[in-house]
Amino acid sequence: MPAMIELEQLTKHYPGRSAPAVDSLDLTIAEGEIVILVGPSGCGKTTTLKMINRIIEPSSGIIRLQGEDVTRANPDHLRRRIGYVIQQVGLFPHQTIGRNITTVPRLLGWSQQRIDDRLDELMHLVGMDPGTYRDRYPKELSGGQRQRVGVARALAADPPVMLMDEPFGALDPISRERLQNEFLRLQEEIRKTIVFVTHDIDEAITMGDRIAILREGSTVAQYDTPETVLAAPADDFVREFIGSGAALKRLGLARVRDVELGQWPTSPIGSGREAALRALASSEHGSVLLLDDRRRPLRWVRADELEQPGSLERLGVEVRGTVEPTTTLAHALDAMVGSRVGAVVVVDGSGALLGTVDMRVIMAAVDTMRTDAHEQDREEVPSR
Amino acid sequence: MSLGLEDPYARTDTVVTEQRPPGSRTAQWRRYLGVPALLALVCVGVVVFVAFADLDDVERRLLTFDGLRTATLVHLELVGLSTLLVIVLAVPLGILVSRPWARRLTPVVVGLGNIAQSVPSLGVIVLFAILFAPGFGGAVVALVVYAFLPILRNTIVGLQQIDPFVVESARGMGMSSNRVLREIELPLAVPVILAGVRTAAVIGVGTATIGALTNAGGLGSVVYGGIVQSRTPVIVVASILTAVLALLVDHVLGVAENVLRPRGL
Ligand SMILES: Nc1ncnc2c1ncn2[C@@H]1O[C@H](COP(=O)(O)OP(=O)(O)O)[C@@H](O)[C@H]1O
Ligand SMILES: [Mg+2]
Repeated sequence: MPAMIELEQLTKHYPGRSAPAVDSLDLTIAEGEIVILVGPSGCGKTTTLKMINRIIEPSSGIIRLQGEDVTRANPDHLRRRIGYVIQQVGLFPHQTIGRNITTVPRLLGWSQQRIDDRLDELMHLVGMDPGTYRDRYPKELSGGQRQRVGVARALAADPPVMLMDEPFGALDPISRERLQNEFLRLQEEIRKTIVFVTHDIDEAITMGDRIAILREGSTVAQYDTPETVLAAPADDFVREFIGSGAALKRLGLARVRDVELGQWPTSPIGSGREAALRALASSEHGSVLLLDDRRRPLRWVRADELEQPGSLERLGVEVRGTVEPTTTLAHALDAMVGSRVGAVVVVDGSGALLGTVDMRVIMAAVDTMRTDAHEQDREEVPSR
Repeated sequence: MSLGLEDPYARTDTVVTEQRPPGSRTAQWRRYLGVPALLALVCVGVVVFVAFADLDDVERRLLTFDGLRTATLVHLELVGLSTLLVIVLAVPLGILVSRPWARRLTPVVVGLGNIAQSVPSLGVIVLFAILFAPGFGGAVVALVVYAFLPILRNTIVGLQQIDPFVVESARGMGMSSNRVLREIELPLAVPVILAGVRTAAVIGVGTATIGALTNAGGLGSVVYGGIVQSRTPVIVVASILTAVLALLVDHVLGVAENVLRPRGL
């Protein structure tokens, strides 16, 4: 991927402060990626971000956008090429939602027809009905809706780059997670280059294609994919910043389809008790999975339950909480812990059995991730 | 004449109907017209009193319809002209000193304004009557000095109370600073600025009565005449008219605040 944004020796000295807020930062951001700047409060994330669109003027260093040195370009023109979303949203309270969203297209002098069409498109993109919301005012919206408008407004003129400063930081946990997921889905479509600031490592892991972990003075402690950062933290600072539960966080990144599934003894429910007992006898598992004629899992049945009288349809327990290949391992683990047999069933789109996830599968996955990360770490000599 | 009046009314009506639900509009008009109706009633009372009360010759001379009308109009002119002048001077100055590059000037300007207002209004008017010619002009200048601070301060406060993130996001999208001022900051400051204008104008109605001392005319002259001749009815009538004027100015500017406040706030 070609570089979209290049920061070279970027430095910011605030007047009256001895240490620079951003100290000779070198960072390259590839086209189409979400890069997260994450670090403790006060480490210089916001200052770094705001220097990219020159809301804050750098003291020294160079900013390149699509290869072009924009360090001294006209800031107003530069900013129309860069979407900007902040935690406080900053909607114009005296303008309707429609007017707010179309700010940049109007600045760029688009025709009214093009502006109207774009407005409809954008409102659909962020999941707001144009008919309902176009003529409302910001104070009539919830926090989550306001930030949707903030995102739509930043996307209005289709800028190649978006800068986002803790955009979901002020939302309640439920809205935050919903907006994070919606935004990731949106990004699949729009493929912008995004620089995203947060102090929340979990958000960084969820949202980032690549994470820059920063310490005091916006110094890069590690710049890598979330998987590698979790599996092979560069130093103690990174390790401490990730905090406990790194292994669990990694499971939140891996999908069921990425691991080798366990195979559980199965038997068609129509083949009867004897077939089920035979299947059980030839494996070390204590229970058998009964399937219907389309290989959809129905019930877990233990050996001792098979000894009891009654129809097979009523023995054992019903299979509940199946997962799909796209489910994260963290969710699969959660379902697994909650199940009687210590395993969760993986099914395809039609509900047919693909395999199971149990503790052995999870441990094997964690092991693989660790080795992968270490190998990758040895191959790549970090260039910073 | 009547046709000329009907047309614009019809047009305002349809515009308003489109924007507000009909019920609240009627209620609003009732609120807008209630106070003026009451004040008109008071004026009718004053007129009836002047026409039919048992007044002596001196009182008759001081309380003529023509005299009262002229005094009221001159009074209104004093206040109106000075307030307009202050708006033209103080609002731009307030904008200027709230620009980021002039932030350091703000306390200085507000300080100077505070000094100007801490001088008693009587002193200011006499001072300006001596400096400029006595009469209407001097009184206007004095009232300008006196009303300057509330409007200046409200302009500055009105601009400073704007959520800084609103301005930041506007700049972040590439709006020039002039455009941000015109399209974002000023509209958002309008309610506060208008509140300052209203305060200044209402205080101005009271202060303008002192203009009588320097022959500026207005209702103050009538009061002054009543005091000199010891005629209580004259003092009372002129005072009532001054109060009516103050309430009317307050009400009209209150309506203006409502109408000019941007929607969405
Ligand atoms: N306008 C400013 N003037 C002086 N110091 C500032 C200013 N803005 C930020 N700082 C300082 O610079 C450092 C980095 O701030 P910031 O970039 O906001 O950090 P972060 O976004 O990571 O929390 C902090 O120590 C902060 O106090
Ligand atoms: Mg910050």
